[in-house]
Amino acid sequence: MEQRTNSPYPKLDRPILAIIGAVLVGATVFFAYSDRQHDYKWYQAQFREQVAEKLGAERAATVPSGIEQVWVPGLRRADRCTTCHQAITWKGFETADQPWRTHPPEILATHPPERFGCTACHGGQGWAIDTDAAHGEIAHWEEPLLSSWLGDEYGLGDHKRALLQMNCNSCHRYERETPGADMINLAKKVVDEKGCRACHVINGRGGTIGPDLTAVGEKAPEQYEYGRLSGQQSAFAWHVAHFKDPRALVQDSVMPNFHLSTTEAQALAMLMLSWRPAEMSADFLAGVPRSDPQTPEERRAELEMRTGPGAYFVQTGCFVCHSVSSLGVKSPAQIGPDLSTAVEDTQSRFGMTVDDFMMNPTGTMSVVLSRQIVLDTEQRKVAIEHLREAFAAHQQQKAANTASAPAQGADRVR
Amino acid sequence: MKLPLIGRDADAPSAPGVRPVPFWSFRPRSDRESGDAIVANFALHWFPSKVFKPSLDWNYSFWLGTISAALFLLLIVSGLPLLFLYVPSVERAYQSVKDIEYVVTFGWWIRAVHRISAHLMVVAVVLHLVRVFLTGAYKNGVGQNQKREWNWVLGVLMLMLTLFLSFTGYLLPWDQLAFWAVTVGTNIASSVPFVGPEVRELMIGGRAIEQATLIRFYVLHVIMLPGALGVLFAYHMWRVRKDGGLARADAASVLDRPREEAPTPTKTYTLLGVARGTAPTVRASTIEAPGTTVNAVPDLTRRVLIVTLGTFALVSILASAIQSPLEEPANALVTPNPAKAPWYFLWLQEIVTITTVRIGGFTINGAFLGGVVLPGLIVTLMTLWPWLDRSPATLAGRWLPADRRTQNLVFLAIALVILCFTFIGMYLRGPSWQFYWPWETWPTIPSRI
Repeated sequence: MEQRTNSPYPKLDRPILAIIGAVLVGATVFFAYSDRQHDYKWYQAQFREQVAEKLGAERAATVPSGIEQVWVPGLRRADRCTTCHQAITWKGFETADQPWRTHPPEILATHPPERFGCTACHGGQGWAIDTDAAHGEIAHWEEPLLSSWLGDEYGLGDHKRALLQMNCNSCHRYERETPGADMINLAKKVVDEKGCRACHVINGRGGTIGPDLTAVGEKAPEQYEYGRLSGQQSAFAWHVAHFKDPRALVQDSVMPNFHLSTTEAQALAMLMLSWRPAEMSADFLAGVPRSDPQTPEERRAELEMRTGPGAYFVQTGCFVCHSVSSLGVKSPAQIGPDLSTAVEDTQSRFGMTVDDFMMNPTGTMSVVLSRQIVLDTEQRKVAIEHLREAFAAHQQQKAANTASAPAQGADRVR
Repeated sequence: MKLPLIGRDADAPSAPGVRPVPFWSFRPRSDRESGDAIVANFALHWFPSKVFKPSLDWNYSFWLGTISAALFLLLIVSGLPLLFLYVPSVERAYQSVKDIEYVVTFGWWIRAVHRISAHLMVVAVVLHLVRVFLTGAYKNGVGQNQKREWNWVLGVLMLMLTLFLSFTGYLLPWDQLAFWAVTVGTNIASSVPFVGPEVRELMIGGRAIEQATLIRFYVLHVIMLPGALGVLFAYHMWRVRKDGGLARADAASVLDRPREEAPTPTKTYTLLGVARGTAPTVRASTIEAPGTTVNAVPDLTRRVLIVTLGTFALVSILASAIQSPLEEPANALVTPNPAKAPWYFLWLQEIVTITTVRIGGFTINGAFLGGVVLPGLIVTLMTLWPWLDRSPATLAGRWLPADRRTQNLVFLAIALVILCFTFIGMYLRGPSWQFYWPWETWPTIPSRI
């Protein structure tokens, strides 16, 4: 038989091939092993033990194992939180440590998890099944779990659990008050009291001096200017700092400093971030208002002012910020001074006559008169006339007041 | 059970290939058995039965072509399960990748294997090209009718296909990384004069990167480009055989002194390098000298196995160790800062930056020069180089010969510049494409909450 030509390589090649083969087997075992490693296995085993301890082995056998998920087609969410948080609908684990704690049942009665999922309210990453990724504490995930721990980070103090109210407001944004969402309610009250709508459009209504806030929560964190913000760089931190002192962050801002408390600023920041268009099928919104109209009282008050002696100031829009008490105009916001005494005021405030001021305004009014209430020279003259009328009325009332002070007092009593 | 052989004596020795065998011996007892394995087996039929010994050296070819092919195979194999799991729609793509990453059994690993193979394949193919250039392996040696220059052109074409395959795959996760890398890439294409915007529109199927882009890239990525690359790969290998194996064989066959006596006719299945009628009395004799060739089975097959399995093992280990990135869902309204092209195009992005000159308020955009002219020039020059290279044929298949010093140095210099620019683009460019030294920290990326 023919012999085979001697191979020049066998000595080294064979052991190399053997080593490569061994490495390949090792690599396969390694990745197969690492694919099987998950936190939830341990959590599920622990929960089964706890159930066995408290409720007996029979109940423990019913604890599901493996990956659990709530698929909410309407929200396009697959929430796998219940893989570890197995106890949420079990009774008897109200005081257990997380993730084995029972969810407060009141809110679940109206928001059943099988219809709403978990992340729609709590934030976090429903797709993930390992703790860090699921809680959204990883790079490139912008919806972290809105936990009390995160609230602590932001110095929310007593309200550290309130962050998730932002998500309540995705559906409840047009409600004036939502039971349980105290921080959001507070913020909505501040928005009303401070008259934010004087300058900002909110839910389609308001002034145009400031930016439209209807969808401000959608603004990406990268789109804020952090140059003057110290500490943590996030949209939330930016809003808190901005509410406390607008000009500290945006130097040429015309937004006044409202001297808000820290809690108010935090509540407003939460409200800002909650204002974003949420893709929501209609059945999720059953029972909540879909728009934000004026209340009948507000409407009636405005109608009265529109037809009264101060109608000019209402129609022109001055009343958004200014009351004109002498003509019975009451501003809902009262950001600016009462215009009854404007004729005197311009002298003391700006050192010029009301005519000069209206023709060449300074400060906030220069912005207002160039952007929101645009008047030409003729119209400005008309405005000055009305201001004088208001002042005349004011002086008359003042004279009458001093003359008939007791009579007025009697009036009030009656 | 043995099937009856019609019209033949079952025990008579038959020609190889008449009875195809599914497997072959790793320890053939004779040259005959070794040769039969090649002829009788489909998987091996593209190998020669005898290989010129120096062609198998580790330090000649570094087996980069084999590594590229192994990675291509791995990409196809790992891509198949992904085909079942990935949904090419702008609404579902990101979510399906998240599912692959988090809950599909071995999903993260399959995706990582696919991703790392793709990156490594770009590296391997480029290194293969560098090796072929530096050894002058695109040159025709001593064999007749060699057309190695055409195989070089095929190779350049395959490099382009590899890059485009990787680029189309980049978009599919539909995250910010994907969206903006493709935005940068296709914007460079739109700087072609006159037809630029039309070229971009053709690439992305509209004026914005949307569903039309995704499905276009998807079909290119999973059918058209792999199909084209597969066909070209087969053609590439066929040409290697027709050109007489590696250029190393040519170099070595003229190196050795021919035997004095006339060769005795021996039975061979193929003669490397001399298959096409090189004067047999002189050069064939050196090929036939004992110890110059080895049997492809098992010496070539074993080495192919070492390289292929070694590549698999390396990719598998890297896939287990390196997490595949998946950024935020694609958002056309938010530009991540910095928006970077895929790493193998970063040298172009860097050139675009450098050639963008601002004089006062007037800006000369470098996209045309850096994104179109320069790469176009490089590819054209590379394609035509076998015809421009006038060095003697005897230099084919030799590392860095003195007679090709200038062109090799120029080639290496260009490669080095590209490498430097790629490095700068990858590691030294921070937000707003600002230059940052490695010891300088980048500004922190703000979060929502």
